[in-house]
Amino acid sequence: MARAADPRAMGASRPGRTRTAPPRMPPEFPFAGRYRAYTLFDATGLVYLLLGLLALRLARALAAGPEAWEAAMASFRHPLYLAFHALALVSVIFVGVRFFSLFPKAQPPKIGPLAPPPAPLIKAGLYAAWIGVSAALVAILAGGVF
Amino acid sequence: MSEVRKRRFVVTRFDPDRDAEPRSQSYEVPCQPDWKVLDALNYIKDELDPTLSHRWSCRMAVCGSCGMNVDGKPTLTCKQAVDGYGDQIEVEPLSNFPVIRDLVVELEGFLEKLQHVKPWIVRAKEAAVEEGPLRQSPEELERFKQFSYCINCMLCYAACPVVANEPEFLGPAAIALGHRYNLDSRDEGAHERSEIFRGEGTVFSCSYANECSEVCPKHVDPAAAINQAKFEAVIDWATHLVLPRGGR
Repeated sequence: MARAADPRAMGASRPGRTRTAPPRMPPEFPFAGRYRAYTLFDATGLVYLLLGLLALRLARALAAGPEAWEAAMASFRHPLYLAFHALALVSVIFVGVRFFSLFPKAQPPKIGPLAPPPAPLIKAGLYAAWIGVSAALVAILAGGVF
Repeated sequence: MSEVRKRRFVVTRFDPDRDAEPRSQSYEVPCQPDWKVLDALNYIKDELDPTLSHRWSCRMAVCGSCGMNVDGKPTLTCKQAVDGYGDQIEVEPLSNFPVIRDLVVELEGFLEKLQHVKPWIVRAKEAAVEEGPLRQSPEELERFKQFSYCINCMLCYAACPVVANEPEFLGPAAIALGHRYNLDSRDEGAHERSEIFRGEGTVFSCSYANECSEVCPKHVDPAAAINQAKFEAVIDWATHLVLPRGGR
């Protein structure tokens, strides 16, 4: 049987005279069926939290001088760090794809006097911007810009 | 003539006078190949066990009465053919709702939520009858038509993970209906509703799981309505912040 939902879920503000059985959660929530993708989407927040902590560590190393920075860079060659960064990359791609698939229908039917462009065009624009920004970042990190 | 196939239906039973909590009961049902799940439930009620309680009415996916969880998924039982399932089919009451009896859920909570969004045309001043009807172009109708197809079957509430955890959440169907009136060219209540939508347990509680739209049998797409309503609520707030009379 599915897990119990909040006992007040969908209940009347004044309970009726008939005793009711308490509400249950959807049987597939949170790890089965289509809920799996939703739960994973939310769980990627943990990856971003860890990435944020990593950025703070790098900022501290940068402030501590070249030796600390080199040591931090060297530690990134550890297989655990490599695996974490691979996971972070997969998480970002997963979140991007899911977000881009849901974004077009969240547009209001009219923005001022204008209707938003058709969904395929919005999606194409999002992917183009994503690829463009990623390419620019790769160029900067590879030293091709500065 | 195609063959009759026996299927086992595992149905949730709950008698508030006798049962401490819901239990399961199995029935062997000789299913005709063209049967819907509802036909099998009616067979159980008519031929095997008259004490089974379930709601149904139109049998053509219009009245929204016969929503239940079939093999774990919120389903209109009059629309779903038994042929799409295996030899054992599990039928439970809709998730996220208190259960009155067997497969019948309590809808009072939904009706209270529905009232909150003022699902009717709000006019600043009622026009006199002599002024004639409020006219609307096909383009204006098109803006909200999709959201007016809701039959209040409650499948979206049964699929929503936020409804399960946040009792104050107005939920997909109620917000979709409020948004439908916000988009109606005859309506002047968008600001009132946007204030409601900015309150606690409303559009911003939605985490866009999109399950409501996946299970909607009428393709209303309540997730789209909720997320459009988020945008409109923010625009309305910003407009009234800069122009206290809302730009009128």
